[in-house]
Amino acid sequence: MSYPQEQIDELKRYCTKVSALSEGGIAFLYLEELRLPAGCKPEICDALLCPSAKDSYPSRLYFSAQITGPYTRNWNVTGARIGEKNWWAFSWKVELSAPTLAQLLVAHLNGFAKEK
Amino acid sequence: MSLENAGQHLEPGQGSAEALFGAPGSEGLEIDIAGMAERGHEVPHAEIFHVPIDCERVKAETQHPTGELLLSKVHKRPCAFELIAEFVHCENRVIESGETVDLRQHGLKGFITAHKEIVTIFIKGDPYPIERGERTVAEILDKVGQTPDGYVLLEEKDGPPLPVPPSMRVKIGGCEVFYTQPQSGGSS
Repeated sequence: MSYPQEQIDELKRYCTKVSALSEGGIAFLYLEELRLPAGCKPEICDALLCPSAKDSYPSRLYFSAQITGPYTRNWNVTGARIGEKNWWAFSWKVELSAPTLAQLLVAHLNGFAKEK
Repeated sequence: MSLENAGQHLEPGQGSAEALFGAPGSEGLEIDIAGMAERGHEVPHAEIFHVPIDCERVKAETQHPTGELLLSKVHKRPCAFELIAEFVHCENRVIESGETVDLRQHGLKGFITAHKEIVTIFIKGDPYPIERGERTVAEILDKVGQTPDGYVLLEEKDGPPLPVPPSMRVKIGGCEVFYTQPQSGGSS
């Protein structure tokens, strides 16, 4: 799946590198050294953004480690193998109408900043 | 005539004002305004003016710089700092960012800067005044008629715009850059 270049460029502001990854017919965007919101530990980690529906979620964001944030989250994906790496994700449903990739990413990152 | 080329150093209280006035035209001439003001001399036409700002001595390439330009010489911006002109007769005057200053005006010896109490922040590119200090996310969103229930506040600080937890107080010093985005996510 291809995305507008300006959306990829906007996404690149959040990480050091964006690359495409496809597995099981699902397209992911691999975000290297993604910056996480204030209060997260670690502050930077790799992430996989899945902009399309997966596991009953309209989109998902996976992290290369389980992140400690200001609020307790339900990490319902732990150590899932995608692209020969382990990934973690918490239960967070984002419903935005036609978001850009950066807006989608920020909506997922807001899971660390929002209480519920 | 360049004073440096002529082998002259123009420090406050040194050099000869007459020699400066004797220069043919103002080409290459560099003038230290503090030195002239302290000697009570009129500042002649010059190409470059040496201007004291706080503890620095900066170069202004125009006789009529704006307040913003002078602030930028000491790496400060009008969204956080104000510029104050100092005169030899103990008079001070605030210079607005867009106001032009005549560096040749009588008695002007330099400038100081001061942190503003009411600073400017930028939300989605537009400027908004706000009191300096720690502010809540709700106070910042209120500037654009939004609330934390409906919108996420994103701060662009040393990197991309990232969400700020509504419970966190944001340190405002002036010139901070924010964006907002509709709240859209939730624990499922």
